[in-house]
Amino acid sequence: MTTPVLDITGDVCPMTFVKVKMGLQKIAPSGKINVRLKEEALKNVISSLKTEGHRVTNVSREEGTFLLEVEKAG
Amino acid sequence: MNEADFKELKKGGMMRQAEGGLFSVRLHVTGGRLSTKQLRAIREAADRFGRGEVHLTSRQGVEIPNVPQDSLSALKELLAPSGVGVGVCGPTVRTVTACQGCKVCPSGVIDSPALAEAVDRRFYGKPVPHKFKVGISGCTNNCIKAEENDAGIKGWIEPRWEGPGCTRCGVCEAVCPTKAISKSGTGEELLIDRSLCIGCGDCIASCPTGTMREENRGYRLFAGGKFGRVPFLGKRILGVLKTEEEAVAAVAAVLEFFRAHGKSRERFGDTLRRTGFPALESYVEEKGELP
Ligand code: SF4
Ligand code: SF4
Ligand code: SF4
Repeated sequence: MTTPVLDITGDVCPMTFVKVKMGLQKIAPSGKINVRLKEEALKNVISSLKTEGHRVTNVSREEGTFLLEVEKAG
Repeated sequence: MNEADFKELKKGGMMRQAEGGLFSVRLHVTGGRLSTKQLRAIREAADRFGRGEVHLTSRQGVEIPNVPQDSLSALKELLAPSGVGVGVCGPTVRTVTACQGCKVCPSGVIDSPALAEAVDRRFYGKPVPHKFKVGISGCTNNCIKAEENDAGIKGWIEPRWEGPGCTRCGVCEAVCPTKAISKSGTGEELLIDRSLCIGCGDCIASCPTGTMREENRGYRLFAGGKFGRVPFLGKRILGVLKTEEEAVAAVAAVLEFFRAHGKSRERFGDTLRRTGFPALESYVEEKGELP
């Protein structure tokens, strides 16, 4: 199964994190989701994910945006 | 004027108004916090002795305007049971301002109201060469504008990069608001420029691997700021102070330095421009038994 990709490059805080939360609700514990976001959203999204016990397992850059591989808390 | 009112006038805290015979009474407020009991007493005092209104000052203070001079001591007596005292003016340590700090604000790093209380308890109203203002921000978002004060304090988080485990993902560099983080020449290490770092902790909060860690969390002191006719921003001095006691000791040493080197009617920033900031730092390090 391919990892779903959630694009929040068009959103601003707090919708960025709301959308990530909704995306995570759709997957099983320990499941993965990729999140594409802009640099401005990095800090709030990653720090909130960490606070809620999820993990960012990979970060890659793609033309001005970032792609986070997120593993949902188990 | 009777004896009691004259005595109150001499102590200060009563501003003579443009309109003769009236005074605006400055109240002693710390960190912008008043209990409802105190607010009720203030309301009562403003109704009875003023014109039923108060003025909120630019530094979190409260004044009761339009008080006739023959009511000054009675007003003070009415307020006393609630714990609200009359404020100060002249060459003294003035109102200590603070934001809500870490107990209330999610961004908070230090308990700014608690430090404000501690500083107020020891130094409020104490004589110095010129008025001296202290302001405390719970974090580097700096809602209290620490650098506008003779002594400003901010909650501060100092990062440390731990090599192993770092995936060189670049998130910390991207989130740093001052571009304090950069790769070393060979690209193997991450360097943090301490002079650029503003202690926000964003790199730590957003590092996916936990490689960017907290080295220190505490209080950062800024000295020599003022506003008024010729504004000047305070400059950062010393390292990160780790406890409230250290922060209070540092303020104590700063005040001692001001008393030793400041000329009468000279603001602290002007004293520092004569002595240089390093003189203050070494004095405080010695006196305050600080790192
Ligand atoms: S300075 Fe920081 S802790 Fe204080 S109110 Fe502002 S954001 Fe909150
Ligand atoms: S965010 Fe963390 S893992 Fe990424 S480069 Fe910085 S220290 Fe390394
Ligand atoms: S604490 Fe803030 S200013 Fe300092 S290096 Fe980290 S992100 Fe940059």
